[in-house]
Amino acid sequence: MNDSMSIPHLIMNASLIVQLVMLLLLAASIASWIIIFQRSIALRRAEKAYRDFEDHFWSGVDLNELYRDLPAEQESVGAEHVFRSGFREFNRLMPKTQSTDAVLEGVQRGQRVALSREEDRLQLHLTFLATVASASPYIGLFGTVWGIMGSFQSLSMAQQATLSTVAPWIAEALVATAMGLFAAIPAVIFYNRLSAHAGRLLGKYENFAEEFHAILHRNLQGRSEREAS
Amino acid sequence: MAKRERRVGYGWPVLLATGVHIAALMLTIVKWPESESDPTSSSVVQATLVRAETATDQPQQTEDSTPPASQPEEEDVQEPEEPAPSESSEEPASDSDAEVTDSAVEEAQAEAQRLQEEAQRAEEQRAEAERKRQAEAEAERKRQAEAEAERKRQAEAEAERKRQAEAEAERKRQAEAEAERKRQAEAEAERMRQAEAEAERKRQAEAEAERKRQEEAEAERKRQEEAEAERKRQEELAERAAQANDSSLDSMISDEEQSIANAKQASEAANGFKNLVRRYVEQNWNIPSNASSELRAIVRIQLLPTGELVSATITQSSGNSVFDHSVINAVEKAAPFREMRELDASVKGQFREFNLDFNPEDIRR
Repeated sequence: MNDSMSIPHLIMNASLIVQLVMLLLLAASIASWIIIFQRSIALRRAEKAYRDFEDHFWSGVDLNELYRDLPAEQESVGAEHVFRSGFREFNRLMPKTQSTDAVLEGVQRGQRVALSREEDRLQLHLTFLATVASASPYIGLFGTVWGIMGSFQSLSMAQQATLSTVAPWIAEALVATAMGLFAAIPAVIFYNRLSAHAGRLLGKYENFAEEFHAILHRNLQGRSEREAS
Repeated sequence: MAKRERRVGYGWPVLLATGVHIAALMLTIVKWPESESDPTSSSVVQATLVRAETATDQPQQTEDSTPPASQPEEEDVQEPEEPAPSESSEEPASDSDAEVTDSAVEEAQAEAQRLQEEAQRAEEQRAEAERKRQAEAEAERKRQAEAEAERKRQAEAEAERKRQAEAEAERKRQAEAEAERKRQAEAEAERMRQAEAEAERKRQAEAEAERKRQEEAEAERKRQEEAEAERKRQEELAERAAQANDSSLDSMISDEEQSIANAKQASEAANGFKNLVRRYVEQNWNIPSNASSELRAIVRIQLLPTGELVSATITQSSGNSVFDHSVINAVEKAAPFREMRELDASVKGQFREFNLDFNPEDIRR
């Protein structure tokens, strides 16, 4: 009796549709855990990279030198990417126009593009976590309802309905709900955590972009005054 | 700096995710056998635990109680000695200004007296302490004896409990074995009953086929005989009467045989049909849970030739209206009995109305 009520035994004895539901939930759970680990590592590294870059940036290094040291456009990420696209725009516009407003506007546009790309990159796959979190309880519930339906159908053939004839079926069906919750709970928790982390990091990038913009503005202002005098 | 952080691969995350799932699976698998074996092991563990408690607890208490008793003794012995030197050192200092010799003598006397008193007091205290210690030791011995007795009593109670538990387990095991044997016997009986029903049905079908064949043969023979008679009648008028007599005699004999065979088959078929109806009804019978095996109800069932139920009435009530009602319900649910159509007319007439006897003991297992 006890042997037949163990969870692996229940899973093996479930009907085909319930087994399919369980398989789907298992796949969703594994995928969501992969994303959880991958995103956690990626976000932690991005944060560390941002701190390193900020230290480097504010250490008084020459901006031209910093620009040359950084890797090419396609490979730079995070604040480096924002800095690079802004500074490149600055360098290209400087020889062509005398208007400081035009230069600053170009710089801002470049930074805005870089920021939106960074946002995309930080929140990669997080929507999948949200989907798993909201859908898998329903999928598990479907498996349970289907299993209980089957149990009642087969119950109608039995001569007498006692608890011992109903219980194994219902336990079997409830395993599906348990698996749905098993997949959904970590996905909910980590979706909130990771999206908050990504948002925080994005805010830091934006702050950096503003600061950098202020530096360029100051430079341009000084130059135009020198030229005027 | 930037190259290191650039891409985060999926290799590690995949490994970690599968690790998490395998760990969860192991938890579900490993936890079950543990919880199963728990009750058997816990009873043993509890038994030894109780014993260990009683064996160690009370000696510990007695040991704890001895040091506080001996400490005050030591303090008592030491205290009176301490003030003596301090007084003796103070007094000479205050008296040294006045007569030195006088004071020295007095002091010496006082000192001696004090010392003596001191010694006496110390002696008394020591005696007191000794007495106390003896009383203490006595109490200690008594407590240990009590603890010993207590331990013994508990051990005995423990042994008694264990013996009872074993007896209980033995009884349970026997009851289980008994139940198992009974169940097997019932299953065996059930199988045999089914086999019998099967055999019965087969026999019935065979009898049916046999009867048909005989009927056909009979019809054939009759036709031939008639043709024969006709021919003979036409050919030989004189012999016709005698011949006709002979053939009619033959047919009469064979008719008689036929009717005997028919009756036999009919009784067999009747039995089979009754069994069939009984089985159908039993399958549809929800026995009331409070029905005891002494209850017995007889139902009169009226059927149409097609097997439809006309009426089912209780002819002999069991005395339990719920039980009677369940029986009627079962019959109504089991109807119609389509097998009725396959019976032949003579048997059908017998089954237009018949009795069924209901007793929960036949079905319940």
